[in-house]
Amino acid sequence: MSTATRVANRVEKVPFLSRGDASLLLVLPGLFIFSAFMLFPVVYLVGISFTNAEPANLFAGEGVVSILTFGDATYVGLQNYADVLTDPQFWNSFGVTWLFVATSVLLKILTSISIALVVTSDLVRGKRFLRSFIIFPMGLPAIFTITVWRGIFSSAQFGLMNQFLTGFGFEPVAWLSGRWTAFMAYNITEAWLAYPFMVIITVSALQDVSEELHEAAVVDGAGFVSRFLHVTLPSIKRPVLFATILTSAASFQQFLIPFVFNEGGPARANELLVVYGYREALQFQEYGRGAAISIVALVFIGAFMWLNVKKGRLADGVND
Amino acid sequence: MGLLANIGRKLSQDAKNVATTPADTLRNWKYTAEAVQRGEVPASEVVKVAVSTVLATLMVLALLFPIYWILMAALSGSGASLYTSESFTLIPADPTLQPFIWVVGDLIVPGYAISLSIPLTDLAVVFDTPQVTILDAANYGIERPSEFKKFLWNSVTVAIPTVLIAMSLIIPASYALSRQEFLLRRKVLFLYVLMTQVGGGLGVALLIGMYAIYVQFGINNSKLALAVYYAATAVPFNTWLLKTYMDGIPVSYEEAAVVDGAPPWRVVTEVILPMSAAGLATVFIFIFLTGWTEFVVAQTLLGTENYTLPVGLYSLVGEYSIPWARFSAFALTFATPIMLVYLFAQRYIEGGLSFSGMEG
Repeated sequence: MSTATRVANRVEKVPFLSRGDASLLLVLPGLFIFSAFMLFPVVYLVGISFTNAEPANLFAGEGVVSILTFGDATYVGLQNYADVLTDPQFWNSFGVTWLFVATSVLLKILTSISIALVVTSDLVRGKRFLRSFIIFPMGLPAIFTITVWRGIFSSAQFGLMNQFLTGFGFEPVAWLSGRWTAFMAYNITEAWLAYPFMVIITVSALQDVSEELHEAAVVDGAGFVSRFLHVTLPSIKRPVLFATILTSAASFQQFLIPFVFNEGGPARANELLVVYGYREALQFQEYGRGAAISIVALVFIGAFMWLNVKKGRLADGVND
Repeated sequence: MGLLANIGRKLSQDAKNVATTPADTLRNWKYTAEAVQRGEVPASEVVKVAVSTVLATLMVLALLFPIYWILMAALSGSGASLYTSESFTLIPADPTLQPFIWVVGDLIVPGYAISLSIPLTDLAVVFDTPQVTILDAANYGIERPSEFKKFLWNSVTVAIPTVLIAMSLIIPASYALSRQEFLLRRKVLFLYVLMTQVGGGLGVALLIGMYAIYVQFGINNSKLALAVYYAATAVPFNTWLLKTYMDGIPVSYEEAAVVDGAPPWRVVTEVILPMSAAGLATVFIFIFLTGWTEFVVAQTLLGTENYTLPVGLYSLVGEYSIPWARFSAFALTFATPIMLVYLFAQRYIEGGLSFSGMEG
C-alpha cells in the first residue's frame, strides 16, 4: 500500500471528509505560507493602527510576548483613523491615486494594443524578431528602469526628454518640479514598465483570432476599423480584460516610480497612497498613523480587487 | 535529464535560426524581386510590406531607446553625469570599458597551499597552486572596484531558496487544483485569483507590520527569511498560472498511463510534468525574477552586508547626482543575463501565459 493511499484512507476516517479531500493536503502548505506572510502582517497592521506605536515604544519589549502586546505602545482607539480621514493631505493622495489608475491604465491599454497589432500585422516581416526584442524591458529590474527614466525626465537642460524637446524647438521643461508634469512622467514610465506583459498577452490572444471570421468580414466589405471593432476586439476581450485588471491593480499599488522620481513631490502633491503610508511610517516614524493609512489603502485595494474578480468574471474558471 | 536535452536542442535550433536568418532573408528578397519582375506579385504590395516593416522596426527601436541610451552612457565612461555633455550622440566619441571593469572588479583566484601528509610518516607533500589572475582592476587604474560580487552572492543565496521553496509549494498545489475535486477547492481558487492582483505595492503597505514582526523575531537581517517571504508572495499568481496551464493538458494522456498500470506518482512525473514544461519554465522565471529584482522589502529588511543586487544598485544613487557611467554598467551587468534568459525562454513564456482556458 503506497503512502498516498494510506493518507487517503486516514482522511476518509475523519467525519465530513471524503477520500478525495486528501488532495487538500497538497494545497495547504502553499496556503499556509502565504497566509503567514501576507495575512498575518495585515492582522498585525490592524493592531498597530489602534496604538500610538513608534519605533521607541514598539520595539521596547523582547520576544514573542511583546509582539502580542505591541511592545509598550498604548491603545489610542480610533484616534489614528480620525486623524488620517480629516487630513487634507490624505484626501489629496487618495484622489491622485485614483487619477493615476485611470490615466495610466488607459495609456497602457492603448499603447499595448497598438504595439500588439503592429507586431502581429501581416504586412510586417520579421515579426518573430520584433516580438523577441519588444519584451526586453520585462527582464530589466524595475528599480533600474525607473532610475533611468528619472534621468530621462531630469529637469536639467540635457535630460533626454528635454534634449528631445529642444531638438524640436520647444523650451526645456522642469519635469519633476511641476505637479502635473511630474504626474505625466509617472504615467509614461508606468506605461513603459507595463507594456511587455500586456503585449505578450494581447499578442497570444490576437493569434487565436480566427482567420475565417476576418476573411468573411473582408468579403462583406468591412474596413480595417470595423473589422477591428467587430471581429478582433470581441475575440481578444477576455485576455485583454484580464491583463487590464492585473495592470490596474499594479497601478494602484505603484510605489517605486513616485518614490524614486521625487518621493511623491513636489511638496507631497503626488504621493500615491502607498507612498504616503510608507513615508508617514518609516520616514516620519509615525507607525500607528502609517498603519492606519495602509489599512485604509488595503480596504480600497481589497474592494477594488474583489470587484474586479466579480465584475470581470475572473473566477469563472474556478467553477469549471 | 530529458528536459535538459530538450532545452539544449531548442537552444541549438534557435542559434541555427539566428545564424541562417540573413541568408534566408536575402533569398526571400531575391525570390520576391523575381516574382515582381515576372509580374506575379504587384509591386505596390511589396512597397506596402517594406514600408510597414520599416515603420514597425522604427517603433521597436524607439521603444527600446532608453536601454540603448543607458548602454551608451556606460560605454562613454565620462562618469560624472549624463547631462553635462554637450548633447546626446548615437555613438560615444571615446568608448571605454572602464565602468564595466569597475563593476566586475578583480578576478583573481588566490594561490592555495595544499599539503597532503603521507600516512605513517612525518612527511608531507605540499603543492602550491599558482595565483590565477584573470582580471586585475588595478591595471586599469581602478583602485576601489564595486562590491558587485558580494551583492551577486547575496542575490544568488536569496533567489535559489526562493525558487526551491516556491516550486515545491506550487507544483503539487496546481496539480491538485487542476485535476482533483476536494473540500474548499473553489474557496482556495477564488482566494488565489483574488490575490493574483497583489503586486509589489501591497508588500509596501504591509511593510510596516512586517518590519515590526521581523525585528521582534530577530529575523530582519536574514536572507532565508526574505526568501520565504518572496516564495509566499509568489504562491497565488504562479499556482493559478500553472493550474491554468495544466488544465490545457488533455486528461486522456493520464488515463492512458493509468490503463497501462502507472501508479499516481508516475503519472505525475512522466505525463504531467513533462507536458507542462512551458508552464513550469514560465513559473520558474517569474519566481526567480521576484527574488532577483525586488527592491523595497529587501532594502527595508536587510542590513548593508546582506544587500542584494537591486539594493546595491540603488545605493549608488546619490542624493543630488547619479554616477551614470558606473550606475549603467552595474545595472547592465546585472540585467543582461536575465534579458538573455528571457530572449531564449520566450517560446515558453508566451505559451505559458496564453491562458488557454480564457478565450472569447
